Amino acid sequence: MTLQNKKPCRGETLMRADLKMIQKWIQPGSRVLDLGCGTGEFLAYLKQKKNISDCGLEIDEDNIDLCLQAGVNVIEQDLNKGLSNFESGSFDTVLLAQTLQTVERPDILVEEMLRIGGNCIITFPNFAYWRHRLKLLTGGYMPQSSALPYEWYDTPNIHHCTIRDFDTLCRDRDIRILHRTVVDFKNRSSFLMKLHPNLFGMNAIYHFTR
Amino acid sequence: MQVMRWAISYPDRLDHAIVIAAAPKLSAQNIAFNEIARQSITSDPDFHAGRYYDYNTYPKKGLMLARMVGHVTYLSDNAMRDKFGKDAIEGNFGRDLRSGKLNFSYDVDFQVESYLKYKGETFSSQFDANTYLLITKTLDYFDPAIDYDFDLSKAFADSQCKFLVISFSSDWRFPPERSREIVDVLLKARKPVSYLEVEADQGHDAFLLPIPRYIKALKSYLGKVANDIAEQEAMPGGNADES
Repeated sequence: MTLQNKKPCRGETLMRADLKMIQKWIQPGSRVLDLGCGTGEFLAYLKQKKNISDCGLEIDEDNIDLCLQAGVNVIEQDLNKGLSNFESGSFDTVLLAQTLQTVERPDILVEEMLRIGGNCIITFPNFAYWRHRLKLLTGGYMPQSSALPYEWYDTPNIHHCTIRDFDTLCRDRDIRILHRTVVDFKNRSSFLMKLHPNLFGMNAIYHFTR
Repeated sequence: MQVMRWAISYPDRLDHAIVIAAAPKLSAQNIAFNEIARQSITSDPDFHAGRYYDYNTYPKKGLMLARMVGHVTYLSDNAMRDKFGKDAIEGNFGRDLRSGKLNFSYDVDFQVESYLKYKGETFSSQFDANTYLLITKTLDYFDPAIDYDFDLSKAFADSQCKFLVISFSSDWRFPPERSREIVDVLLKARKPVSYLEVEADQGHDAFLLPIPRYIKALKSYLGKVANDIAEQEAMPGGNADES
């Protein structure tokens, strides 16, 4: 249980392989809104590589300061208080990385993302990953892993979901999935993960629109 | 608020605008406090319809009152409790006594009273009354949206600079909501903007004080600006004069 009290850090949860995958879907010179932008690392990268117009939302003071240091535009705003201050269609891509499971109403946030930008990208830890299932099944404890490094009583993750759950949400809400990739803890994809994403995928990456 | 005006009126001369504890325009409450201050000054018998220097005098009492009410609006309830609650009495509420006992007179009993009186007196000997009237009126009339169909986002349409907006949690004269309005307008105008709300107990005065998060944020932002300029200068043919 050495992972407890670990501070959430985008650099660890959204690793380079993730970035590579996601950045393919982002057009050069486009407008990108990153919800829960962490240290601003990804936006800084996109700015440099793709000359995007960046905007990140964040609530952690230290992360906000790192964004300022990196010259990333960051707004102190709580996702749970809504995004009504963002106009419809005001961004090309809206990104939510490793944050979906921490918000009060993930479904409303997804709808808001679709309203603000045509292109949406979400990544989240898959709760149905086999190691998580095994821990729950054999140990009877809430699973912990590098993707879920928290004790049940002290975690920002209040809405765990699985790949099947998210697929269902997309179907129910007429959301069109453009790409779906699942990766393991080293952000690798494999034959098994393609065959049984909900069982072998540790992190899910969705690219969707309406 | 001045820097917003510059960003609107001189778009090509600004690379960065840092807007601290401001508002898109003054609220009714802001104007009300300014009007109390102005009434104090103009109703002072020594005001002489603004020609007080002809009479070798100035509206000392009026300026003093104006400053006293102004000063209260710059602080927060908690800031005043901290400042005037040093006596070790539980639940003191910032009611430190000046002479250690209540006198039950209209003279100064509480520390806060003598503090305000002192602040008012010092100010009255240092600030010109007509200037006070004009500056508060200028603030009251400040509304850059007026020339743009009352849509402030249109006013910023030509601005080329990056914006950093900072507010303070206990500032009730220019509260965080007003700063967020500025941020929302800039988002609507699709301008690059950063925003932070600094937790601080000192009210509007906080913007003058070395609050660690505030100072750190300024340092981080300006550090990046300095780096960018240094990089520009290092580049052959680079020109950093535009900043």
